[in-house]
Amino acid sequence: MLRTLPAGFLILLSLAGGVAAQEAYPTRPINLVSPYPPGGAADLTARPLAPALERALKQPVVVVNRVGAGGAVGTQFVSTAPADGYTLMITVFSISTIPEADKVAGRKPRFTRDQFVPIARINADPTMLIVHPSTPWKSVKALVNEAKKRPNDIVFVSAGPYTVAHMAIEVFMQTAKIKMRHLPTTGGGPAMTALIGGHAFVSALSTGAVSPQWKAGKLRVLANSGAKRLAAFPDTPTLKELGYDMEVYLWTGMFARKEVPPAILKTVRAAVGKAVRDSEFVKASAKMQMPPDYLDAPEFQTWWDKDSEMLANAIRRIPQPSK
Amino acid sequence: MRSLTVDQVVGSVFAAFSLLVLWETRGIPFGFLAEPGPGAMPTLLATALLACSIAVVVGGRSGKRAADVKWTEWRHAVGILGACAFIAFALERLGYRLTILVMLLVLVSIVEKKGWIAGIVFAACFSFATHYLFNTLLRVPLPQGPFGL
Amino acid sequence: MVETLHSLANGFAVALSPEVLMYAFVGCLVGTLVGVLPGVGPLGGISLLLPVTYGLDATSALVLLAGIYYGAMYGGSTTSILMRIPGEAASVMTCIDGYAMTQKGRGGAALAIAAVGSFVAGTLSILGLMLLAPPLAEFALRFGPPENFALMVLGLLVLAYMSSGPITRSLSMAALGLLLGMVGMDTMTGLFRFDYGVSELGDGIGIVPVAVGLFGISEILLSAGRDSKAEIRAPRLRELLPTRQEWRASAAPIGRGTVLGFLIGIIPGPGHVISSFVSYSVERRLSRHPERFGHGAIEGVAGPESANNSATSGAFVPMLALGLPSGAVPAIMLAAMMIHGIAPGPLLMQQQPELFWAVIASMYVGNVVLLILNLPFVGIFVNILRIPYSYLYPALLAFATIGVYSVNSSVVDVWMMAVAGLAGYVLRKLDYEIAPIILGLVLAPMIELSFRQSLAMSAGSYSIFFTHPISAFMLLIGLTLLLLGMRSMFTRAAGPGALMGIEPAAGPGQKQP
Repeated sequence: MLRTLPAGFLILLSLAGGVAAQEAYPTRPINLVSPYPPGGAADLTARPLAPALERALKQPVVVVNRVGAGGAVGTQFVSTAPADGYTLMITVFSISTIPEADKVAGRKPRFTRDQFVPIARINADPTMLIVHPSTPWKSVKALVNEAKKRPNDIVFVSAGPYTVAHMAIEVFMQTAKIKMRHLPTTGGGPAMTALIGGHAFVSALSTGAVSPQWKAGKLRVLANSGAKRLAAFPDTPTLKELGYDMEVYLWTGMFARKEVPPAILKTVRAAVGKAVRDSEFVKASAKMQMPPDYLDAPEFQTWWDKDSEMLANAIRRIPQPSK
Repeated sequence: MRSLTVDQVVGSVFAAFSLLVLWETRGIPFGFLAEPGPGAMPTLLATALLACSIAVVVGGRSGKRAADVKWTEWRHAVGILGACAFIAFALERLGYRLTILVMLLVLVSIVEKKGWIAGIVFAACFSFATHYLFNTLLRVPLPQGPFGL
Repeated sequence: MVETLHSLANGFAVALSPEVLMYAFVGCLVGTLVGVLPGVGPLGGISLLLPVTYGLDATSALVLLAGIYYGAMYGGSTTSILMRIPGEAASVMTCIDGYAMTQKGRGGAALAIAAVGSFVAGTLSILGLMLLAPPLAEFALRFGPPENFALMVLGLLVLAYMSSGPITRSLSMAALGLLLGMVGMDTMTGLFRFDYGVSELGDGIGIVPVAVGLFGISEILLSAGRDSKAEIRAPRLRELLPTRQEWRASAAPIGRGTVLGFLIGIIPGPGHVISSFVSYSVERRLSRHPERFGHGAIEGVAGPESANNSATSGAFVPMLALGLPSGAVPAIMLAAMMIHGIAPGPLLMQQQPELFWAVIASMYVGNVVLLILNLPFVGIFVNILRIPYSYLYPALLAFATIGVYSVNSSVVDVWMMAVAGLAGYVLRKLDYEIAPIILGLVLAPMIELSFRQSLAMSAGSYSIFFTHPISAFMLLIGLTLLLLGMRSMFTRAAGPGALMGIEPAAGPGQKQP
């Protein structure tokens, strides 16, 4: 009841707005929703992108943080917002994992992937497979061997269930056919603290978080989960080149509701394509170690489908607590 | 029958609440002693609350009677709670300024009987001034309603 | 040491340059104004205003954020003392005696003591931060899940021991609070509990809306019906300042609160909330007249206010020394550094000494600015009490709404505030104390998570709590306290005092006409 009422009201509003939208777009400020708080990956991408989009669209672009439930609140908000192109979303791969996690938990998904249409992928960073420096594992091979010897005994730490750290390790374990024990925490900071404090021994975290600790010798980097080596870690191999056929990225993409008229989507796509090449945006992204890795809508759709399928498969294979 | 004491009433309500929680917890995996599931802690705490509330009922046979509690300010309380519910319901539909305007007007002019002119002036000045201060100057996000208000 | 002083002097040179000083001043002012909103504390203030700093250079941005953070911290006590509406979760304890002082016409004194206490705690804890950060941070790293669990259990037992005797009523309230803390996503499995399809409940029941509702809205509900003229007396100008006796009574609590808060703040978790609870019960236990607590004891304002201030500085220890956040506020500050291309990590002090010392120096400067800014504000704020209550309370309702809504832009939080207001009103009417509900709500998710994390680490073996030395040591102390408490329970009849040592059975709100 509480949820359907605003939806009905918003549909009415969108009908009224739809007439105006056919003539020209955009004629008023655009809301760019980030389902994550200021300082999170989605927000850090949205903030510098907004002024760049503003320059391309000639209308203000306002970043709105709709935070809660690991991204579910904001994503759900966008899925019921007016489909007039004035509510767009920047989010991370939780848009793929949340519906799948809802399904395996046996509840109705709060939103589904097919409610959204992808506009562009903005960036995609691999996670770094890291271990505590006191451990004897100097290579991925050594870690895998040890894990095979003691199944379900080595503790890995994540930023919480179904976060990128969890998914990266889960996919790695399924690819390497090993088992480790999961220690979930409440975020990237606590996860890093647990690893550096020696309460867990393995994790997979973002390059931005890993590199200062790595430079100070507080952790050892074994591999990255992407397709190619990173400039900042030239000696760190990818899991792929080590023979583990997997790729997991912490990516950020822009989405809109499926019902948004194609003409508007085309305008937005063109604007995003321009914005990611905007020199200010490129400079800001470099500072945050999140370089743009742009994919236009058609390629992003293909890539997103593949990525979601892979994550969904991995989630379905995670053992669920028995009733 | 003598009227119940405050403790007996509150204890019974809490006991009923904990039973409700226990009932609602039945679908959540309890897990094992070595690996407690998401249902373990709620079950434990609801049981603890049940035990405490039974103790409250048993220990509260003497003491203040529930019937002796005077609810002299109930008229205001109902009005204010109604205003709270109205705010929560209307905030994202009418926007901050209209919602607060209506709420202030109703409370000042109707509940507090301060007259309509005082109410309108106060409500209009307050809602627009606070919106300007917090939303425009301090960037606190406040919802916008129809007509850009 | 000489080197430290030299670096600090350089830091002050940057912090006192006109431009940076202006950002410090603006930050303090904005923080104070936002912090006055009920519910918007340092975390709310910083996350709301972080985007504004994206365009600045790194030093100015961090100085501005530090200013906002300290400003919000100071501002948080204002509504707590004057209207019994917690300015943030950590100000809950300030509400109790602060508001009782206001009712006696000593509101100005309470505000002044809170400001001075915050200043002393802020300044001393930055000193501690500067001198002791690296060793303390290394120690904090040793706190993993089992240690955190033991600490939380010990904390609960200390609170229980500090009180005058357990009674079932406050136990029920604490259990209720703990139970409410179970709502939301289970961090271990990602399963959602008791959310009934409302996505916003996935993060659990917010502490801010519950605190504002239970304390603030319930107070409005209780007072609105009373004859508004007699109740609260706005003080005359010369009554604004604390008396010599009040100063003397506050000195020790400020000192204890500072040390306590700093130590609790270093350990990951919502330290500033817990530190204010612990400080309050310590002061009550140490007081020669514990019965004054709840009726306007200045120690009950001075202690918790200093504690929550220095706890938040304590939280900066792991952040500045190791680049690891120990709470939500440092996590946002870290994000702010990353936005400006600074990699926050163990090498921050070596690689970015100018920035590091400029931020430390600006924290000192910010505290001085705030004291200068806030003491005159006391006079202004106290005059709010002259507004007739029939105009004041609708306005308070509006402020509470802005505060509660803006933290998450969530109407669900506004509903929660309303429901908590009704619950608080009924419970206070029936002479039940409500502070243990907040404590339970804060502690429940942490206790559960650290307990189950420990078992995940040990593959289900409970021995982990005893093989880790810090955890074993704390549990041993806890056990001793428990036995001592049990002995005293049997030797003397349970008095009417409260379990948590938080609020006396006859709290300030219950005086009915």
